[in-house]
Amino acid sequence: MPSLKDLKTRINSVKSTQKITSAMKMVAAAKLRRAQEAAEKGRPYADRMQQIVNSLAAKAEPSSAPQLLVGNGKDETHLLIIVSADRGLCGGFNGAITRQTRNEVARLRSKGKTVKLLMVGRKSADALRRELGDSYLESLEGIQGTSVSFADAASIGDTVRNGFEAGEFDVCTVIFNKFKSAISQEVTLKKLIPAEVGEAEEAPADEVSVSYEYEPEEEALLAAVLPRNISTQIYSALLESSASELAARMTAMDNATRNAGDLIERLTLVYNRTRQATITKELIEIISGAEAV
Amino acid sequence: MAETTHLELVTPADIMVQKAANMVVAPGAEGFFGAMPRHAPLLSDLVRGVVEVHEGGKVVNRYMIDGGLADVSGESVTILTERAEDLDAVKREDIKSRAEAATGAEADFLNAVLEAL
Repeated sequence: MPSLKDLKTRINSVKSTQKITSAMKMVAAAKLRRAQEAAEKGRPYADRMQQIVNSLAAKAEPSSAPQLLVGNGKDETHLLIIVSADRGLCGGFNGAITRQTRNEVARLRSKGKTVKLLMVGRKSADALRRELGDSYLESLEGIQGTSVSFADAASIGDTVRNGFEAGEFDVCTVIFNKFKSAISQEVTLKKLIPAEVGEAEEAPADEVSVSYEYEPEEEALLAAVLPRNISTQIYSALLESSASELAARMTAMDNATRNAGDLIERLTLVYNRTRQATITKELIEIISGAEAV
Repeated sequence: MAETTHLELVTPADIMVQKAANMVVAPGAEGFFGAMPRHAPLLSDLVRGVVEVHEGGKVVNRYMIDGGLADVSGESVTILTERAEDLDAVKREDIKSRAEAATGAEADFLNAVLEAL
């Protein structure tokens, strides 16, 4: 049976933990709103870029199309870009990414492929360093604080593009948490090279695109657009991921705060019971002492 | 009021400009081109330069862009660019201090903006 003093200390420590978690929840909620806005504002650019790529890709000759679009014909070395968070305390956010990465690497390796990893965010990089550290191409930190800048995405894009041109890998996939809602995130794999091309919306778009003029030629234009598209895709993955991280943290901290509340309630009950038991015991002692006289 | 085309200037961060214009002049990869209402559909690569918005025969807005893409149709002009500055709204000192703080492509671009101001 813990003493009254022990219980009191315990209750106080849970209370201060609760204060921290509820503060973190509030901070995450406020930041989430901003991150969500940023993600929404970033969408028009990514969407239009995708439309343009789709309409150009639909016309490109598979034989002469740029390699960024169709790949270099090989499928040996895979580059995975892993987007996790720099900070913890956000529930299953980093765990989900780490698990997915481990599975994907195992899947590719079982098919005899070589896997290289480009880690964005500290958490997954640390978690996987021991088992997969030797396949790290690069490990980046600190680019997804409160605001994600396009320049960072562009520099990752450059790294990817240069690596591809130097033949360091054949296929590039980005793994990130996609923001679905404040309470749910989904681990998503997106192929960057060869580019994932959606079906160009046929019926209405087709009539217009038939008569499109291109300046310069379609192929040259495609070659100019694709590198930008890679940076844009990475940027939108970073935005989605940072919104997801904050959402995950908000949910996790909300649960933690509620659990701390339950714990305090239970401990307080035990505390009061112990206190009453002590009082009763003391009374009995006094009474029986008085009777004995 | 003559016919207008709808200009949209989109950067990765947000839609920077949305407005109607009589003509939009953009720095295409193969030379400047003007896009007026009912322009034939055109998809063009853009280089670093100034986008001019014409209205009533005068230039009303100038935007410096850092290359990009223009998607021109009969009713609209959509410009996608990584970096853009409104030349009429920015202050020289602001750009100057940002150019000093920035590195690489960003600094290059801001210096170009300074020259265009």
